[in-house]
Amino acid sequence: MASIQERVIAVTARVLQLDPREISLEDSFTTDLGAESVQSVELVASFEEEFGIEMDEDAALSVPTVGEAVAFITEVCKQQGKPL
Amino acid sequence: MSEQRESFPLVDTSQPNLLEEMFDYSLPPKICFDGPIVEYVDGQPVQFDPQTLRSRDIFITDTTFRDGQQARPPYTADQMVRIYDLLGQLGGPKGIIRQTEFFLYTHNDRLALDRCRELGHRYPECTGWIRAVEGDFELVKQMGLKETGMLTSCSDYHIFEKLKFKSRKECMDAYCRVVDEAYENSVRPRCHLEDITRADLDGFVFPFVERLMRMSEQVPEHMKVKIRMCDTMGFGLSFPGASLPRSIPKLIYKMNKQVGVPSHRLEWHGHNDFHKVHINGVTAWLYGCDALNTTLFGYGERTGNPPLEGAVFEYIGIKHDLCGIRTEVITELAEYMQSIGFPIAENYPFVGRNFNTTRAGIHAGGLRQDERIYNIFDTTKLLRRPPRVAITDKSGADGVALWVNEYFRLDGREKISKIKCHKVARWVMDQYEKHGRMSAISDEEMEAKVKELMPHYWNKYKGGAEASKT
Repeated sequence: MASIQERVIAVTARVLQLDPREISLEDSFTTDLGAESVQSVELVASFEEEFGIEMDEDAALSVPTVGEAVAFITEVCKQQGKPL
Repeated sequence: MSEQRESFPLVDTSQPNLLEEMFDYSLPPKICFDGPIVEYVDGQPVQFDPQTLRSRDIFITDTTFRDGQQARPPYTADQMVRIYDLLGQLGGPKGIIRQTEFFLYTHNDRLALDRCRELGHRYPECTGWIRAVEGDFELVKQMGLKETGMLTSCSDYHIFEKLKFKSRKECMDAYCRVVDEAYENSVRPRCHLEDITRADLDGFVFPFVERLMRMSEQVPEHMKVKIRMCDTMGFGLSFPGASLPRSIPKLIYKMNKQVGVPSHRLEWHGHNDFHKVHINGVTAWLYGCDALNTTLFGYGERTGNPPLEGAVFEYIGIKHDLCGIRTEVITELAEYMQSIGFPIAENYPFVGRNFNTTRAGIHAGGLRQDERIYNIFDTTKLLRRPPRVAITDKSGADGVALWVNEYFRLDGREKISKIKCHKVARWVMDQYEKHGRMSAISDEEMEAKVKELMPHYWNKYKGGAEASKT
């Protein structure tokens, strides 16, 4: 089974229409990967769907990088009892 | 006056100062004053105390059926009765909308007047409007009115060029004969000093009003002449220091204090030729004229008159209280007027379709967090008009979420997050980015897309209503 990191990168690549090999954990969703306002919302919605979780809107949208998204989602999954 | 610069250090805080004493969201913003206003009249400083506005019995009068009707095809009697009834509801039991005036020349005018009076409302009191010629006064007598306005034009443009009087004295004598006739018939005269902001005040206007005041000495208080100052061409100026005859502060001061017309017998009637109509009317209130003459939605001859609904909100702002005014009736009046073919611009304050609609996504984001950020006051409570967003390429997910929550009428914890609206937000963006759309997205299109892309929420909040229709 793919790791959380791999799944986050796969979702990011699909929503932003990028090659997953071009995405690193240090990348900023907005400045490096070019996520626009609606795409940021789509990313959060897609993460929720992928992991079966509900995220706080403001907190999720303020996560700046791919690596921090991995950490944030890992924490939410734990809180909501979702298998990692 | 000291021009010494002062220091303004930052007052840091983690708690916002929302200035709620002035911006109480449940009311139009309160109008507050710090102290007296000084105006120079005849070279001498004169103080006006605006704080007295809160205790003075200022009020609104209406000329929708007279000046308002001069700018459009005639209303039917049914329409006038409906509007009159709503004006009565709007103004409330204290009669903030105190009087309205009727033409008396056609059968329809007289029928409408009779039917309005049959409603039995105390306010607005029905009055008449005639030219100052003796024949016209017969109509007032026939209709049994207690008060009538009469056209007593006072600039030389009117006296000599329009009415063709040979002299000012001949003109004044003619006007005064009609005023005498009013008194003989126990009708209170209200002299409409047309074109006063372009008149020779010292040479005609003040001598005429002085004579009217002397004539009034013979009659009881409720019969004494009223003076309507008509800024017929919209030349009036509210600025301190402006010269007569255009200065509203000086004109009112002289009428009030030098000629001696008490405030409750002074009325201001303006026109909007220079975009000054509303502020000029309120300025008249401020400097000592109690009555502000208005029309619904400012509709009147040429560029229109002071808008009645604007005066209503200004009144509440001055009084810091609703004073029994039912502001929500303004929305009902607008809907009724539109239903009978009266055009109201989409951006028209208080009643236009988009008066509290925001288009920019960043503004919609603010509205979604706290509607006070981009809404002038609680328009849902005072006008039954919740703040709205128009959906365009600038709306963003915030705008879409605001639209959806307003559509489902969700508030507080029930509100749907913009995350849940992402499919609709994507559809909106694709309309512009992929399909090159140039127009705003209509409510009907948004409804269809919400139904298609957010079926869970649609069924939850609209499913029952849909099912009950079938």
